[in-house]
Amino acid sequence: MTNTTPVLQLQGITKRFPGVVANDRVTFDVGAGEIHAVVGENGAGKSTLMKIVTGLYPPDEGCIIFKGRPVAFRSPGQAIAAGIGIVHQHFMLVDAFTVAENVILGAEPARLGVIDPKTSVRQVSELCDRFGLKVDPAARVEDISVGEQQRVEILKVLYRGAEVIILDEPTAVLVPQEVEELFEHLMALKGQGKTVIFISHKLDEVLRVADVITVLRQGRVVGTVPAAEVTRERLAEMMVGRPVLFDLKRGPAAPGGVVLSVEGLTSVNGSRAVLDDLSLEVRAGEIYGLAGVEGNGQTELAEAIMGLRPVTGGRVTLLGEDVTNLSTGEVRRRRVAYIPEDRHRRGLVLPMTVWENVILGVHRSPEFSRGGRLLFRSILSSTEEAVRRFDVRLASVLAPAQTLSGGNQQKLILAREFRGDPGFILASQPTRGLDIGATEFVRQELLNARDRGAAVLLISADLEEVLSISDRIGVIYNGHIQAEFGRDEADPRTLGAYMTGARTARREGGSVAS
Amino acid sequence: MTETRTETREETQKETRQTPVRRPRGPRRKYALLDLAAPVLAVLFAMAVASVALLVIGKNPLAVYGTMFAFSFGRLDSVAAILYKATPLIFSGLAVAVGFRAKLFNIGVEGQYLIGAFCASWVGFAVKGLPAAVHLPLVVLAGALGGALWALVPIWLKVKRGVHEVISTIMLNHTAFLLLHYLIADVFMDKTQVIVGGAGSPRVRMPLMEPTALMPKLHGLAALIGVDLPSHSSLNWMLVFGILLAAGLWYLVWRTPFGVELRAVGHNPDAAEAAGINPSAVYFKTFLMSGAIAGLVGLSDLIGHFGYLDIDFPRGYGFTGIAVALVARNNSLGIILAALLFGFLSRGGLGIQVLEKVPMETYVILQGLIILTIVVFWEVIRRYVRARQKREEASADAQC
Repeated sequence: MTNTTPVLQLQGITKRFPGVVANDRVTFDVGAGEIHAVVGENGAGKSTLMKIVTGLYPPDEGCIIFKGRPVAFRSPGQAIAAGIGIVHQHFMLVDAFTVAENVILGAEPARLGVIDPKTSVRQVSELCDRFGLKVDPAARVEDISVGEQQRVEILKVLYRGAEVIILDEPTAVLVPQEVEELFEHLMALKGQGKTVIFISHKLDEVLRVADVITVLRQGRVVGTVPAAEVTRERLAEMMVGRPVLFDLKRGPAAPGGVVLSVEGLTSVNGSRAVLDDLSLEVRAGEIYGLAGVEGNGQTELAEAIMGLRPVTGGRVTLLGEDVTNLSTGEVRRRRVAYIPEDRHRRGLVLPMTVWENVILGVHRSPEFSRGGRLLFRSILSSTEEAVRRFDVRLASVLAPAQTLSGGNQQKLILAREFRGDPGFILASQPTRGLDIGATEFVRQELLNARDRGAAVLLISADLEEVLSISDRIGVIYNGHIQAEFGRDEADPRTLGAYMTGARTARREGGSVAS
Repeated sequence: MTETRTETREETQKETRQTPVRRPRGPRRKYALLDLAAPVLAVLFAMAVASVALLVIGKNPLAVYGTMFAFSFGRLDSVAAILYKATPLIFSGLAVAVGFRAKLFNIGVEGQYLIGAFCASWVGFAVKGLPAAVHLPLVVLAGALGGALWALVPIWLKVKRGVHEVISTIMLNHTAFLLLHYLIADVFMDKTQVIVGGAGSPRVRMPLMEPTALMPKLHGLAALIGVDLPSHSSLNWMLVFGILLAAGLWYLVWRTPFGVELRAVGHNPDAAEAAGINPSAVYFKTFLMSGAIAGLVGLSDLIGHFGYLDIDFPRGYGFTGIAVALVARNNSLGIILAALLFGFLSRGGLGIQVLEKVPMETYVILQGLIILTIVVFWEVIRRYVRARQKREEASADAQC
């Protein structure tokens, strides 16, 4: 399939966990000096496979052949010593250390047991030069950007002599400009003869950067294809197992009156202002997409609106009523739906049953309880109906929510929150971690709600998501809205510039009034 | 309550899709048999391990266990004693369990029941001239209020100041005991005691409670079902009260909106809060309820046996209650059974000490082993059930 000699060969790798086969006879070759993408939906077995390759798990069956010889790594340390290194999605860096210190950590150049800082800085800057990775070896990790931190992670594996570098969902944390830079780096690595394995589920990126693509579905290899011979639609179909609609049904926006109005909102965490004079408005029948790099106040904004975080200044108004610092219960009583960003922490009570999760929050409504007694007849029929409407796949509504898959858990939250036709929907990272099918479903539901006249505030770190369904887009940076755009004026590069703070403070608030 | 479900998975699904109206049973119901098997196996396993200790001291384990069972179940007064010993443990187990459901660790049952007993005792002797139908409920209420009062400080500190309830309740246990000493020995010491024959010293106790404050014995009820309880048994109506309370709490936890809140906050306060529930309010109510139940722990002894509060009033029920709740996994019926098991061990321990000359400590070893094995066995079964359910969901996903 490739015209180069394989450096890494996976032959019949099988890994079973209780109840699931995570990898089922996975077989493919990775050619030397190529960028090989491994794509698949969540739960397709990508991460498990990489954990096996890097020695974190032993395979139940099958073998790994590296540079022509069978290997069986028993730890990531052995894998990296042999020349296979991995850059995890979540960085493993010591914030208080410098770049150089982080790079050498665990493999320090030492003389008589004393670390030689000069040598380490020199070695690291040599590495940077050789691979064109721009980062200051003397800078502290806490002071550099996420993109630079990722370069430090890449440096770490290069420093240890890796020939095969695995990147696990590397673009998930990056803004568009950083993604561009990462791709340049990957090309540079390839130019230097390194082999890159790129794990992703973002098809556009994979098609741009990869030479060869292997698609996994439900633990099996669906196929290994040259990137030049495949289309996005074809890849998606291979991943999902059916054709995927990329174009959601969306009618023209018909914005009505202002539903949510946030004025000069300020919230302080310790001595740091996490929300800084933030203002925005969301109208009935529109989706307001809030783009931004994570950690710029999105979580705090959602919590402040929902009454989960005290507000120190400014106002939140819902349909003309001041709801600032009201309790969550009181906010919710105003036909508010809330899809929390972390469905395990805020969204569901995982050990409790599906029906209990569906009535949570409305369990005291006359529909579900009377005289201090739960009305099971009504609860169960209502739960069954909600579950059916949102196509939640489950064996029984009596089973705990934790037995559901991630996509079904998210649908369950939608089923609860969209009951009773909400007037305002706060959707925070609504498709995070969902596969293509579920993502499509959730986005379409948000659009449908908007068409029914709901005001939707969509907070998402996924720029593609914001661009695809929003009617208006705001960019949040350091707890402040830096710029607002109409749907047609926004493009990834401009948004990216505001997201990183490279450009600040632009207002086009008036562009929505229709 | 522990109805076993025998439908196959396919039937379950069909049922779910077609007939939406069904009484919900907890997800564990399906595996109810396993739930019952675990403790039985655990007890047998613990007994086997304890045999080693018995062999070391040169006793025949079979003979010892034989005597233990024969003594405990072969005599009516033993059965009555087991029930009597189980009574306070039912209350303390329930008090701990209701807190556990909301992930509140009420280690303070020990102190709360002492304060509850004091309050009940005070209402029992200081209030005079009321008919029993009024006085007795008042005494019980005073016990509950006393327990709740002693729970108020720790929960207030937790909700307002973030003080962990384990720390504050442990410290208040000591405070309660010392305070009780002071109240009994100094403030309310019964000075009217007549020393018979002019020898010895008066008991360090509070005044005797009014006869209207005492709990009737169960002899009448037992006679109705043809059981002639020995006259020296102190088995009283607190046992029945405890069983009814267990049923009431089960209903509260599983069948009421408050129960949903209680469990939601216990499992995930962040999600409960995001759904519009106020976790602080739930913590507050639950802990006061736990304290009020704790206040009843000592009443079986106080108004069912002694009739006065003295310096030697039984201690330790609060801590044993933690073990009872743990072994019962906070389940109401389980708490009754666990309390009976502990009562049996204690009575059986007495039997083997007298009849087999085995030291009383054997019972402590056995009790410890049983707690340990039951907890381990249940964890193993929980994981097994979880894995089974995951598999079922996975196949549901695949079929649709």
